[in-house]
Amino acid sequence: MNRLISILYWISLGTVLCFITLPLIVVVAASLSPTSAVTLQPWEWTGRWYADLWSSRWLDPFLASVKIATVVAAISGVLGLFAAYAVVYERIPGSDALMSCLLSPLSVPQIVKGVAIVLFLSMIGLQGFLGTPALIAAHVVLALPFVTRMVATSLANFDANLDRAAQILGAGKLQRIRLVVLPMIKPGVLSGVTFAFIISFNNIPLSVFLVRPGDSTLPITVINYLEYSLDPVLAAVNVASMAFILTVIFLFEKIGGFSAQLHGGSK
Amino acid sequence: MNALDIELVSVSKSYASMAVVKDIDLAIPQGEFVSILGPSGCGKTTTLNMIAGFTAPSHGDIRIKGRSQVRVPPERRNIGLVFQNYALFPHMTVTENVAFGLKMKGVRRDEAETTVKSALRSVHLEGMGERYPRELSGGQQQRVALARAIAPRPSVLLLDEPLSNLDLKLREAMRIELKEIQQQLGMTFVYVTHDQEEAMAMSDRVVVMWQGAIAQEGQPAALYREPNSRFVADFIGKSNILSVTSAATKAAHLELAVGDDLILKAHKAELAGEIRYCSIRPESIAVLPPAAGGSGCANLLDATVRRVVNLGAAFEIDADLGSDVRLHVLLRATRASVPPKVGDAIRLGIDDADIQPLCA
Repeated sequence: MNRLISILYWISLGTVLCFITLPLIVVVAASLSPTSAVTLQPWEWTGRWYADLWSSRWLDPFLASVKIATVVAAISGVLGLFAAYAVVYERIPGSDALMSCLLSPLSVPQIVKGVAIVLFLSMIGLQGFLGTPALIAAHVVLALPFVTRMVATSLANFDANLDRAAQILGAGKLQRIRLVVLPMIKPGVLSGVTFAFIISFNNIPLSVFLVRPGDSTLPITVINYLEYSLDPVLAAVNVASMAFILTVIFLFEKIGGFSAQLHGGSK
Repeated sequence: MNALDIELVSVSKSYASMAVVKDIDLAIPQGEFVSILGPSGCGKTTTLNMIAGFTAPSHGDIRIKGRSQVRVPPERRNIGLVFQNYALFPHMTVTENVAFGLKMKGVRRDEAETTVKSALRSVHLEGMGERYPRELSGGQQQRVALARAIAPRPSVLLLDEPLSNLDLKLREAMRIELKEIQQQLGMTFVYVTHDQEEAMAMSDRVVVMWQGAIAQEGQPAALYREPNSRFVADFIGKSNILSVTSAATKAAHLELAVGDDLILKAHKAELAGEIRYCSIRPESIAVLPPAAGGSGCANLLDATVRRVVNLGAAFEIDADLGSDVRLHVLLRATRASVPPKVGDAIRLGIDDADIQPLCA
């Protein structure tokens, strides 16, 4: 009986993993395709599509996306940290209502949000904000619930006695935040920031309303390109951005992010 | 008379309409080891939090070394606190934990290093400085917490049930050690616990709290010998508590009527109210052969053995005195002693001084 359960377990785990990773492998294979049609020919491959990535057609939107994602991660990281601290830790009046408010962007479809932001900007005469500033603002709205939620979780697990211990040992409020609270919730903050970065970097449904010609993000450029042609360079672009995202996750992991947050420990 | 380190002047605390601490007065002299003892929910932790400054009293004043602390935040009270769950900073090494308070005080680095070393030495943790709390056992973490609290040399050290997470053997060893450390440092310790043995073993003075008020305070031996209420008699040690139906002063004795028709002769005592109970410690009752003579006991009572429990060092005997009175008797086991058997007739001898009349 146990053996059967164990076999079922491995089969289902394997199926899920294949389901998740096989499309990625197909994309990688396609990016190496020797013909200009997207084909799968594992025995023949070329790296020439990757050479195209250095053209400004792809490099510029990539850099724009990195820039926007970095700013979004920083802003939503700081705001999410403050919000969670006020709501979960200080329990300021109306905390529960505030928390629902902070998480509410999650319940609005991104397309609706995109339309709403465009309408709002043109209503108040700020069409000029479209492009990078609007993208950053919109992505912050999108990412903030994730960051707040993650920081809130690690703050909820924070032992208030640690704060008291620091206080009775003579630490003022700012010292306590800097020396005790922040190091303890660092994994939560870092994984929140990583999420914010990825959410911004990969976003399509919201960004599609806010980009301007010549001021576009990478995923939108891919979509636009896809409308007219389908060739392996798209696969190459996606493989490259996948590699980039993995590098980002790896870097944050190194500083002490995800797994520490998942395992609830701290280093 | 030593200078007073901590004074609570008619301190009360209520949450909404719930009075948690009711009008407490307490004066703790410098260098004393005081325990605040009581069952959970008696207000002892609230009292501790008010001394530490985490909770503001609703009424009354808290003074440390003569200065009112009501408006002083915890970080400026110069108090040490040992938490029940230790609350060590998990991201800091033992040394960093112990040095934290010194750093906050702005103590010079080299001086702090010396102080940390001596604090770790006094809790027997030399050479553990580079470890992280998670690499230590419960007992070691407890010691680190103690070292961290004493390193900045606070005027007062508060301890909130610090031993309750340790196993029995370790707890007993730590009791002795805590007391030794306290005497070495000459620091005032305020120790909050629900464990009466712990309080009795370490304290110069025990403050028994019940339902938000101080039920009784005094030296451990005095509390044990002369509890002033049924609650204290029952909470500290074991006791036989009998309902007294009437009391009368006759010649040399105070005569207490218990059960249906039993009269106990107690020492004459000045009591503020009507005597309603009396307390007799199980070990103060002598077990004599039936129809044994005087031997100076004011009370000689015939009883039947109902139950004998062997506790190793002693026998606990459940004796039925008839007329609806039962007494627990503790008979110390010696090599020669043969305990009575169930159903045996025995005679119990109780000294008049061992019967403590109680009003409440």
